[in-house]
Amino acid sequence: MSGTRTTQEIQRTILLKKVFKKTVLTIIIFTVAIIYFSPVLYMHLSAFKTEYDAVSPSLFFSPTLETFQKVLGDENMYGYLKNSLFQVCAGTIICLLLGIPAAFALAFGKFKSQGTNKKVYLWFLTTILLPPVAVIIPLYTWFQTFNLIDKPLGLLIIYVGFHVPIVVWMLHSFFSDVPVEILEAAEIDGCTRFQQLMLVALPLVRTGIIAAGLLVAVFIWNEFFLAFNLTGNEAATLPVYMARFREQQGMFVAQLSAASTVVILPAVIFGWFSQKSLVKGLTAGGVKG
Amino acid sequence: MKKHNDWRFLIPGMIVVAVVTQVPFILTLVYSTLRWNLARPDLPVKFYGFKNYWYFLRIQDWPEIPEFYSIVWQTVLITICALALCTIVGFLLALLLDNVIPGVNVARTLILGPFFVMSTASGVIWKTTILNTTFGWYGTIAKYLGFTPVDLISYHPIAVIVLLFSWRWMPFFVLMMLAGLQSIPDEIIDSTKVDGVNWWQSTFLVKLPMIRKHISVAMMLGLIFLVKEFGLILVTTAGGPGTSSYTLPYAVYMQVFNASNVGRAAALAVITVALTLVGINILYRSIEKRSAIYD
Repeated sequence: MSGTRTTQEIQRTILLKKVFKKTVLTIIIFTVAIIYFSPVLYMHLSAFKTEYDAVSPSLFFSPTLETFQKVLGDENMYGYLKNSLFQVCAGTIICLLLGIPAAFALAFGKFKSQGTNKKVYLWFLTTILLPPVAVIIPLYTWFQTFNLIDKPLGLLIIYVGFHVPIVVWMLHSFFSDVPVEILEAAEIDGCTRFQQLMLVALPLVRTGIIAAGLLVAVFIWNEFFLAFNLTGNEAATLPVYMARFREQQGMFVAQLSAASTVVILPAVIFGWFSQKSLVKGLTAGGVKG
Repeated sequence: MKKHNDWRFLIPGMIVVAVVTQVPFILTLVYSTLRWNLARPDLPVKFYGFKNYWYFLRIQDWPEIPEFYSIVWQTVLITICALALCTIVGFLLALLLDNVIPGVNVARTLILGPFFVMSTASGVIWKTTILNTTFGWYGTIAKYLGFTPVDLISYHPIAVIVLLFSWRWMPFFVLMMLAGLQSIPDEIIDSTKVDGVNWWQSTFLVKLPMIRKHISVAMMLGLIFLVKEFGLILVTTAGGPGTSSYTLPYAVYMQVFNASNVGRAAALAVITVALTLVGINILYRSIEKRSAIYD
């Protein structure tokens, strides 16, 4: 019995117990994760069904690309896709162009009064907290006066204004990690402030910039409220297309799934890429600041 | 040292942000005191005092409670339920994902997924492939189990919205709390093991207090995300049946774009912001109070 067990045997039972525990844990974690993501997974599956197969829920069927062809062949969608791509590309670039210098100045800038950096930083943060409903009415009336309703440019300006604070917030923590001494050394060597930003600080916060850019791109890609209220048919983006899908196309589960797959995939992939830096940016910016 | 003019780095960004967010918000405050109906150009725009607010707040024939109060109640209910669900279940999920198992990154990635799915698409997916009583999984499973499926979207709209809100925003909570759990130094976890602390104690008496800062940031940002959420309601219940799943943002939208009443919509928007600020304040204070105990 237990008296006759050698140390080796005891070690082996402990090891077995550990392996068993780990296996059970792995199974639980993966079951939970797959169930959590199953609505999206099932939608990806349904995208490969024919409309006939998709009527009743099933997991087994013969996959086909037919539905994808139908959705991608729909010229209606290209307008929305083009608008979305324009907003994401132009919006992200402008946000970064405005946000990077601002975050840099907030981290290293010297102003007349001491508290300016902190005050302006907090001001940027409070604008993140403002819900879009609070501004939609004047924006709508402005857009009517300046004839910007349903114009891509109008929506772009709004997106830039709403997402610059996010860039500032995320980059602030990355810039704060850069030692001031490096910048001072560069200054002694004759770098102007602009050169300090471009040549010294920028390469050091590269990951932060990529993360902030990806996050802003995902947010703009997914933004619905402003796009829905400020655009009609010409400048509408993909989230609006998804909301209108049922009214226009009726109840076609396979087509709907294929369309959603096309629409969702870029954001999900972008998001997963930015995952690690996202955690750093969000937690460092929020938890320390 | 040479003098720098660092404002030039800040000003462009600040101007855009101010023009797009601050100025319109001040205008919203102004509009909320005006009588201004876009559908009635014959009526001149004029100063209206607090009548727009009064329109929503007055209780005309007690004990009949006007619609406005039930909308506020629905908003509060949805937000609080979703926030609680996200925090509690999110913490448990974060605990699960904090384990070292093969392929844990894949599991994390899967759970993070819904955060990046656009709200209208996720609403449409849930509505057609899951909650639909004839074509969705819910209907099929119900039939298989032998009971008649109730149309959840029209009979329990609030519950459906809470479920969808939580599903979509919980990954964000998990992300923040997981980051918190992973920032706890290994020595502390090891020393709790040496001291013979059980799972329950180590989770709720050691880990939970150590990540309270992460939880508070997640809850405050999460509250903002939840209050902003609009697309999910529009594509699933569309506020209905009747106004039984209206939230304040949805009501603002209906006031401007269906009733064209700028003044009243602005008043509603101001009330929404005020309530959000109150909510954040309460949250912040209760967290501060708690952290004082541990510090």
